[in-house]
Amino acid sequence: MKQFRSMTYPYVLWISVMIIVPMLLIVLYAFTVSGNDVLTFQFTLENFHRFITDSVFRAVLWRSLLIAVITTLICVLLGYPIAYIIAQMGEHANTVMILLITMPTWVNMLVRTYAWMGILQDEGVLNSLLGVFGIGPVQMIHTSFAVILGMVYNFIPFMILQIHTSLAKMDKSLLNAANDLGANPVQAFLRVTLPLSVPGIISGITLVFLPAVSSFFIPKLLGGGQYVLVGNIIETQFLTTGDWNFGSAISMIMALIIMLSMYLTRKVDVSAASNGKE
Amino acid sequence: MKKALVLLLLALSLCLVGCGAKPSGAQSEAEAIEKYGSAVLKVYMPGEYLGENVIQNFEKQFGVKVIMENFDSNEMMYTKLQAGDSYDVLIPSDYMIERLIKGDYLQPLDHSLLPNLGNLADAVRNMDYDPDNTWSVPYFWGSVGLVYNTENVDPKVMEAEGWEILRDTDYAGQIYIYDSERDSFMMAFKALGYSMNTDNSDEIQAAYEWLREMNQTMDPIYVTDEVIDSMIGGYKDIAVVYSGDATVILDENEDMGFFMPNEGTNIWCDAMVIPANAENPLLAHEFINYFLTYEAAFDNSETVGYASPHAQVLEEMSTQEDLYAENEAYLPRSNYKNDEMFHDNVVLQKELSQLWIKVKAEK
Repeated sequence: MKQFRSMTYPYVLWISVMIIVPMLLIVLYAFTVSGNDVLTFQFTLENFHRFITDSVFRAVLWRSLLIAVITTLICVLLGYPIAYIIAQMGEHANTVMILLITMPTWVNMLVRTYAWMGILQDEGVLNSLLGVFGIGPVQMIHTSFAVILGMVYNFIPFMILQIHTSLAKMDKSLLNAANDLGANPVQAFLRVTLPLSVPGIISGITLVFLPAVSSFFIPKLLGGGQYVLVGNIIETQFLTTGDWNFGSAISMIMALIIMLSMYLTRKVDVSAASNGKE
Repeated sequence: MKKALVLLLLALSLCLVGCGAKPSGAQSEAEAIEKYGSAVLKVYMPGEYLGENVIQNFEKQFGVKVIMENFDSNEMMYTKLQAGDSYDVLIPSDYMIERLIKGDYLQPLDHSLLPNLGNLADAVRNMDYDPDNTWSVPYFWGSVGLVYNTENVDPKVMEAEGWEILRDTDYAGQIYIYDSERDSFMMAFKALGYSMNTDNSDEIQAAYEWLREMNQTMDPIYVTDEVIDSMIGGYKDIAVVYSGDATVILDENEDMGFFMPNEGTNIWCDAMVIPANAENPLLAHEFINYFLTYEAAFDNSETVGYASPHAQVLEEMSTQEDLYAENEAYLPRSNYKNDEMFHDNVVLQKELSQLWIKVKAEK
């Protein structure tokens, strides 16, 4: 095995150049302010202090987390039945359905979000359709509804795929055993299927929550300029304001929140797995 | 690498000369390479800002290839320049040109290569940021004003209230605001009777409160270029719009009017410049000179709707009825005492930008 060790070097180099160095730069920026000509930067906690003490920024942070949580919940509630139904299908239908679920992701996310703009516009496809029945126009674009819809639409394939994988590899004979031991289908689902699919739900939650909490173009396009989430504040710091230090500090705060939530979900994962063993 | 590229281009151009008959009077690619050193020009400019055929005609006439890239904002362009990207021609705005000059990002123009410079209209000569056109040549100019639906908003009320109409709750839920800290603070400063270039912290605070109150009471929608389609569709009654976009809106929807508030507004000018690290400065001069010709300037202004820097084109556009004579948005106001141009102030802009995102975030 030892002779293969040298083969990992390119990989290690790749990781350090593409992941570790940029992360270190963000940390460096977050803890500094641009100084004078002699000393190009100075260490400070001012960037963090500014974000945490400002009530407007705190409100934006809560709003972003709330939107992400709602998005994730809807993805679980919608995604689980879909994944479950697909998993019950025959092998052939199963493959086709999974292909259909992943197909939208072949098209760029930005393009698909633009399509939703056209659908949700005041004079868009949906409102024209409602108009035929004498309803509306209903204000849909530039609302929380549009933003959450856009996020659920973009991220739900990740949830379905994760849950489907854990359901598909489940041993079906366990259900027969439950049946033999007198469990009705509902009991069998709650006691056998659901606990065994928890790891899939957990990784689905991670995959949906992460992009949802930091997305900036979905709120920008579907929510309009007045729909500010944390991702938009970070984007503004880099592209408009040119305050890379403050932008990096906000990114770090977000990274910490995400790491914490991942740690917590991992704990749930572990306890769920040990429950299943009992 | 470069040598190989030149050889490749040479081979290609030889083939082109050999295979195709070139249009009379036009320059071939080989001639272009001999004259400018390369037949490729990299242009970085705002999107949707060109006449229909200008670039094609330029390419044909001079036997060159133009690589076009667009930016959403001056700041975005500046970030890329800072990162070391190289272009031959940029088209930034007045205040950004000030910043580029200060930062040694530009090279001085060779006026002997720009014989068409004499075509410039008086209104765009002697601009504060570059009075002798040492660094830049105007591309478009204009103002910022209010487009309003004359069916629903009385022009007299508009005239009496000016920028304050954006806080008149009779029109709550009926306004589009342009999503940019410069333009938003400009209207707040002007409404309060201050200079838009103020760095007095009390005045900035007052403008911030003005915008916050607007945000809380008027339920505005913050938009950028989509305002054009929305106002053509007449979805709302009042919008803050750049004059050229307003020209297009008024052209398409005859209910719409355009008003430049008496408290004053921002008069701006976007201009062509050549960065210091340009790879093909000779061709860049040819490009700038070409845009000062009658046909290029005419095509540009007619298509996009912004005021031309070309004296004769400006005159025709604003006086001929089949052009923009009856369009009140086309011709910006000149020499009005309350109007101002922006000056570059990075510290101030940073501060306004931070305040602006807070205005928007407070819902």
